[in-house]
Amino acid sequence: MGKRKNVILPPALPPETPDEEFQISDEDMEFFSENPKFTNFLTRIDKKQIDRHVTRVANKSEDEVERLYERKNRNAAPLDSLENDLHVDPVDALPIKTLDGKLQYRTNKKVSTREGKADTESAEEDDDSKSGTIRLTKAERRVKLKKERKETKKLNKDEDIAPDSPKEKIQSEVLKEVEEEISAEESFGMKKIKLAEIGTALLEDPEANIRSLRDLLQICEDRDPEVIKLGLMSMLAVFKDIIPSYRIRELTEKELAMQVSEAVRKTRYYEYTLLRSYKAYLQKLVALQKKPVFKQVAVRCMCTLLEVAPHFNFCETVLAGTIRNISSSDDVIRKLCCEAIKSLFKNEGKHGGEGTVRAVRLIAQLVKSRDCHLHPDSIYVFLSLRFDEDLGKPENKTEEKNKFKKNKKGNKQEDPMKQLLPSERKKSRQELIAKAREEVYADYRAVSFAPDSKERQRMQSDTLSAVFETYFRILKHAVDSSDPRSDTEMSRSHAHPLLAPCLDGLGKFSHLIDLDFMADLMSCLKQLSGFSSGTYLQTKTSDSSRSNNGLTVSERLQCCIVAFKIMKSNLDALNVDLQDFFVQLYNLLLEYRPHRDKGEVLAEALKTMLWDGRQHDMQRAAAFIKRLATFSLSFGTAEAMSALATLKQLLHKNTKCRSLLENDAGGGSISGFIVKYQPEVTDPYLSGALASVLWELSLLSKHYDPGVSQMVSNILSMANLKPTQNTVNPSLVALNPIQAFWESTIDKELSKPMNTKVPPSLKRKRKREGREYFVLDPEKMRNVENEVIGEEEVNVRFEEHFKVLRDISENERLKGELNRTLASINFFDEFKREREKEKSVGLKSGKKKAKVLVKCSSS
Amino acid sequence: MRPLDEKETTLVFEKLFKFVGPNLKHIIDRPAVEGPDPSGYCFRLHKNRVYYASESLVRRATSISRPKLVSLGLPIGKITKSGQFRLTIHSLDLLTAHARNKIWLKPAAEMTFLYGNSVTKSMLARITENTKAGDGVVVLSMSDLPLGFGVAARSTQDCRKADTNAVVVHHQADNGEYLRNEEEL
Repeated sequence: MGKRKNVILPPALPPETPDEEFQISDEDMEFFSENPKFTNFLTRIDKKQIDRHVTRVANKSEDEVERLYERKNRNAAPLDSLENDLHVDPVDALPIKTLDGKLQYRTNKKVSTREGKADTESAEEDDDSKSGTIRLTKAERRVKLKKERKETKKLNKDEDIAPDSPKEKIQSEVLKEVEEEISAEESFGMKKIKLAEIGTALLEDPEANIRSLRDLLQICEDRDPEVIKLGLMSMLAVFKDIIPSYRIRELTEKELAMQVSEAVRKTRYYEYTLLRSYKAYLQKLVALQKKPVFKQVAVRCMCTLLEVAPHFNFCETVLAGTIRNISSSDDVIRKLCCEAIKSLFKNEGKHGGEGTVRAVRLIAQLVKSRDCHLHPDSIYVFLSLRFDEDLGKPENKTEEKNKFKKNKKGNKQEDPMKQLLPSERKKSRQELIAKAREEVYADYRAVSFAPDSKERQRMQSDTLSAVFETYFRILKHAVDSSDPRSDTEMSRSHAHPLLAPCLDGLGKFSHLIDLDFMADLMSCLKQLSGFSSGTYLQTKTSDSSRSNNGLTVSERLQCCIVAFKIMKSNLDALNVDLQDFFVQLYNLLLEYRPHRDKGEVLAEALKTMLWDGRQHDMQRAAAFIKRLATFSLSFGTAEAMSALATLKQLLHKNTKCRSLLENDAGGGSISGFIVKYQPEVTDPYLSGALASVLWELSLLSKHYDPGVSQMVSNILSMANLKPTQNTVNPSLVALNPIQAFWESTIDKELSKPMNTKVPPSLKRKRKREGREYFVLDPEKMRNVENEVIGEEEVNVRFEEHFKVLRDISENERLKGELNRTLASINFFDEFKREREKEKSVGLKSGKKKAKVLVKCSSS
Repeated sequence: MRPLDEKETTLVFEKLFKFVGPNLKHIIDRPAVEGPDPSGYCFRLHKNRVYYASESLVRRATSISRPKLVSLGLPIGKITKSGQFRLTIHSLDLLTAHARNKIWLKPAAEMTFLYGNSVTKSMLARITENTKAGDGVVVLSMSDLPLGFGVAARSTQDCRKADTNAVVVHHQADNGEYLRNEEEL
């Protein structure tokens, strides 16, 4: 049956939905104006059917339609109408204007066929409810068509010819129209109520009301996106509760043919309906996922379903839908998906591991198809995988135990058996019981959901291989793209988003890697950590720009860490000295910058490579000691502490290196061939560190941080110990670099003064002084840091600050002026006085002179 | 005493390269510290033995006549009658300082090696990663004391799978020779 033939059920609306629900709300109009794509359906509409529908209405109440007709044609050109008049069918004279502005006429023939088809249609509908999923989609289509028809109606502004009320009076209709407009919100509320009603009914008695799932589905077909969202969510809530804890199996033909009791049939019907509506729901979700408006809701539903029912039918669809969005650029969606997958991995009991295998494979495929350009979150989910290492082992053990017990029992029983030989009946009875037990056990195994250990082992190995395939692919990709010759700065800046989670994962699952992969893996890691392959190490690494293969320092450090972890977890076979990685670490220490690179990674590297290492070459240890000392001199407290902790451990283990603590340079005979310390050499073996002195430590012992200076003085005290003496201060040796790092990061630093010991006399003083020494709460400090201060406030504060500054400078200036004026006044006074004095003296002398002159003249 | 000719130089360098790899550069370019105007180190051939000595020492040694000169600097090997170059145990310190591949022996196995036996897997305590078959390897005790050197019989990867009696390093020279072959050295 084609779409054409499938005559649409005319205006008879589904009884439970009141007419006003289909009113266009303002939101709808907005939506369509914003998304012109969605109006596509208008062009696809079977216009004739619409016409037929409308004209049938026309038959019923002529004056109404006439009014409408007139109103519509008021704008139309008279020419048009003239033209159209020629084609007017005598059967009904009222033409209908379509969206395009064409006038269309009902023909006589179609009316006659309509009724018959409607009958077949209704029959079909009955059929639908019984038949399978293909029909269901058809039903959906029909619903959709219905809606489309209604929409076009509204777009044509024919609200007033509501099919249910053709015989009402005009006034009442106009009233109704107004009412409908007002009640747009009301209808939304009503729909909500309806959803709630159906939902509660379903939850109250799912078996009886299972059919109303279809109603829910129909609500989800609504035009209002809000309603659809609500519908989806409420269906989710319903499914969450009514999905059984088992997988619904397809009935075989034989089973279908069998006569069953009423109860069984009921259950079957229930299961069947549930399954079908679940499937329809999922299809809807998948379809809606592609629309930006519904994406978030659909994904949320999928994720919740995955968490709740990973065992149920169609789990594959849900899983595929979730994983498709796992590296979505939308933070919320991605987080949802990742959480869902993580919970899938964690609750393996729910689905018996199948889901895990499938999910991991899907992710592997995704990584492959996207060429490793995904969001790191999508790989971080692997970290929550759990691998049961001794799968199968515990079972064997219990079996053995049982055997043992049995033997014991047997032994015990044998003695009485010997005594009671004739009691054969008992024996046979016991056998019977044992047999029955075995049968029951076998049945239980067959029915129980948990697969046996072999199956689980197989699944685990599948999962593992998929995971490692992904990891190796990422590594390989990183190696290939970080080829130093392909110098594309653009792609380098952030080319390996997946590398960090991949390295994390490798570190975590390092004990599960096959030994055969080891060589390749190591060479990969070596390349990534910046070790330029080939023999001319010295020449190449000396210019650091070339050895730097686009990875950040922390990433390269992580490569080293992972290599060590892998080696360590496989060391049972052979103790291998990873010399090249030590060289890398030695050089990376120089490239470390405190705020650009992650300090905790460095601390971890120090711990795994140097602190944990059992054996070190003397030369190498000395080189590292020297470099770490220099390093701790130039960086913050946290880094310094972790470096010093490592240094201490190295000195502690390598007693020969303690000659570095001596005060005279030139290590003597043990310094080897290199007589002079060369700080910038890239190979720790050639640095000649043994010929140097750890002068850095004496500087560090005056460090402002009490922790550092204490640590250093502790190290310095090692020099006085005899080479064989090893116990320094166990509490400090026990401090590993990571702990040291975290303890002296800023946060801890803030709370530290509380713990410092205060001499008792000082303490008393402080007490008296009261609150003068209050300690800042680190929390508070962080809050202050994080507090977003408004720009205005900042402006005001700056203004105040600068005002004060200006005032101060002004004050100074004025003071200076005042001083100057005062000084000049004083000076002037002095000058006056001086002058007066001079005058008087001058007068006197003048008089004297005059006198002398007089005398002279007189004489 | 004379400098090595071209053929001898390649022989010596090839052999040394097996042990020290790219570090050979450091052996050749090593700055000397002794003498009035220290310049560098060089190789000299004297009575079929190859010596590694600082240039100032070489200059001073010229004042001694050839038959009377017993040795100078560090003897590192000899050129055999068949024209091959062999490293002797004297070169051990030089090799250790620049070696690329190292092997550490278990304390119990040190004596066996010093008697001139090859290193089996059971004697192995630790091995440098990435050692390849045919590379020169320096053998050390667990306290980093060089014991001798040899040639790796199998790579690190193969070592993992090898059984305990398989030879890992073929013996070439060890400190025991100072006692065993005293007069030859």
